[in-house]
Amino acid sequence: MLLASTPILAEELGDRDRTSHILNIVDDLWRGSSSYAVVTMQVKTEHYTRSMRMEGWSKGKEKTLFRVLEPLREKGTMTLKSENHIYTYLPKTDRTIRLTSGMMMGSWMGSHLTNDDLVKEARLEDDYDATISFEGLRDGRNIIEFTLTPKPDAPVVWGKLLLMILAGGYTPLLENYYDEDMQLARTITFTDMKQLAGRERPSVLRVVPADKPDEYTEFIYEQLELNIPVNDAMFSKSSLKRR
Amino acid sequence: MRIFTLASRNVFRNWHRSLVTMLAMAFACFIMIFFASLMEGMMQGSERSVVAMNMGDIQIHAPGYRDDPDLYTRIENAEALVTEIEKQGFRAARRIYGYGLLAANMASSGVQLRGIDLKQEMQVTELYKHVSSGQWLDEGDVNGVVLGKKLAGTLGVELGDELVFVGQSADGYMANELFRVRGILKSVSDGIDRMGAFMPMQTLRDLMAIPEGAHEIVVLRAERTTDLEVETAKVKALAQGQEVKNWKQLMPVVARMIETADVQIMIMLVIFYIAVATVVLNAMLMNVFERIHEFGIMKALGVSPWQLVGLVFAETFILTLVAAIVGLVSGWWISDYYHFHGIDMSAIAGSITYGGIAFDPVWYAAVTTDALIYPVVFLLIVAAIAVIYPAAKAALLTPVKAIYFR
Repeated sequence: MLLASTPILAEELGDRDRTSHILNIVDDLWRGSSSYAVVTMQVKTEHYTRSMRMEGWSKGKEKTLFRVLEPLREKGTMTLKSENHIYTYLPKTDRTIRLTSGMMMGSWMGSHLTNDDLVKEARLEDDYDATISFEGLRDGRNIIEFTLTPKPDAPVVWGKLLLMILAGGYTPLLENYYDEDMQLARTITFTDMKQLAGRERPSVLRVVPADKPDEYTEFIYEQLELNIPVNDAMFSKSSLKRR
Repeated sequence: MRIFTLASRNVFRNWHRSLVTMLAMAFACFIMIFFASLMEGMMQGSERSVVAMNMGDIQIHAPGYRDDPDLYTRIENAEALVTEIEKQGFRAARRIYGYGLLAANMASSGVQLRGIDLKQEMQVTELYKHVSSGQWLDEGDVNGVVLGKKLAGTLGVELGDELVFVGQSADGYMANELFRVRGILKSVSDGIDRMGAFMPMQTLRDLMAIPEGAHEIVVLRAERTTDLEVETAKVKALAQGQEVKNWKQLMPVVARMIETADVQIMIMLVIFYIAVATVVLNAMLMNVFERIHEFGIMKALGVSPWQLVGLVFAETFILTLVAAIVGLVSGWWISDYYHFHGIDMSAIAGSITYGGIAFDPVWYAAVTTDALIYPVVFLLIVAAIAVIYPAAKAALLTPVKAIYFR
């Protein structure tokens, strides 16, 4: 209901308010105040291709929990992000491990995302100063391009972000991540619009590292529920073992 | 020959001064031999710490592995290569590595897992002797691991404690396994102390899904006396397409330190012998001045200037020779003593690390021909140079003036 009224609202607001307003909408696409999702992750690298189906819950931006559903070999593996810590529960050994800072740049579950990405997964508006760097037609589509530069004290590893969204509906199309030397580090593309949680949303996120263009990690949303009641106790370390 | 008889008589005539001069020279020679053999011992000990503990003489990696230790950058035909290298008289061992997180209770640390071919490794390195508590690896105990000293401290584990490993295996899945602490190493090198975890090779192959290949092959020369560069070239010829480096190239800092020890010995030698030279110069100069009258009479009796030079040189030579023998014998003896007993530095320095390598805190001397011969040769040369001036002085005297010199 909010979504329907946004285009009109946005024009009435000032420039600054407008950018933050749009960014909030983009952020809320998959998260909301709480969420439940079933996602298939497909990873293709030079050395292996794998697929993994998992379910995840989130609450606010600090708490996230993933549980692997498939393949059988990894079923039950859980990743809990609570505040700034990441815990991994491993059913094979029946142990919970807290990842140390040394592991943060390591790959998360063999994907092209790092554990650090998971911890730093932030709301764009909190960590970045946004400006609209392009607005209008590009490749036959009416788009808005944002340039996001990290705030001075933001715990962000990137130099800047370029975010391209469709002007109508504010659907993200493309997100470019630049490292501290302003070299393109990775690209996330958003495709396959699908009815999810009551509205059309891109259901496929594809992460491509810039240095290995043949590799990718794809997140395919099968199911998404937003703003549902989620119990806080779910995100505690002790709950990992009990599931 | 008559000159020598005369010279030895002269030496004995003023035996007080002769003794003092001789002792000064003998002492310098003794100290230099001891110092040189200590330095030689340090060089050999350092090389042993580097080579025998972990590095081996020569290491083979797949190109690029050392810059980026990637799980997939492997030497594919490792087994065959090891066999071939061993045929050439070397000893070689394969190793594989994996990285990940090792946790115990709630403490955790990033680790480098090393899978070791136990039989081969024992031929090449002495790591297996370097266990401070517990035991070295055993093929039968597949989940028993040996940890670096600091790593065990970080994790707060003792023998028999449980460890959980999480990492990413070569097929992209999460590798995780329970291990048990089987042994804890003494200090080896920074890297190993802080993040080294050792296990039988097959265990790591299963864990990381690396059915074959190796990340590293360590090669040891059969004879320590052979030229390292030549041997490296031989291995290079066998391991086509791989990166072959000897330990001096891999550890340039330590190699430089060991090389500069030679220079240090030389500098000490020069400083010491300048002091000895002044003692010799002083003693012989006094000797000559005291006997100007005597030399005058000798000259008047028809002794030629060259014979006088010969006389002064002969006296010095006798003194130096005796001093050299005394110095050599005593220096040899003390070096030999410390060759077997060693000086325990651990009380003063604790554990000694340099360039990331932990060195044996017990310092042994090494008796080498170089350490014995250089000080003696230097002593003879220095004494000969120092005595030129007094000898010339004696030779150039005018007989009449000298006879009346009082």
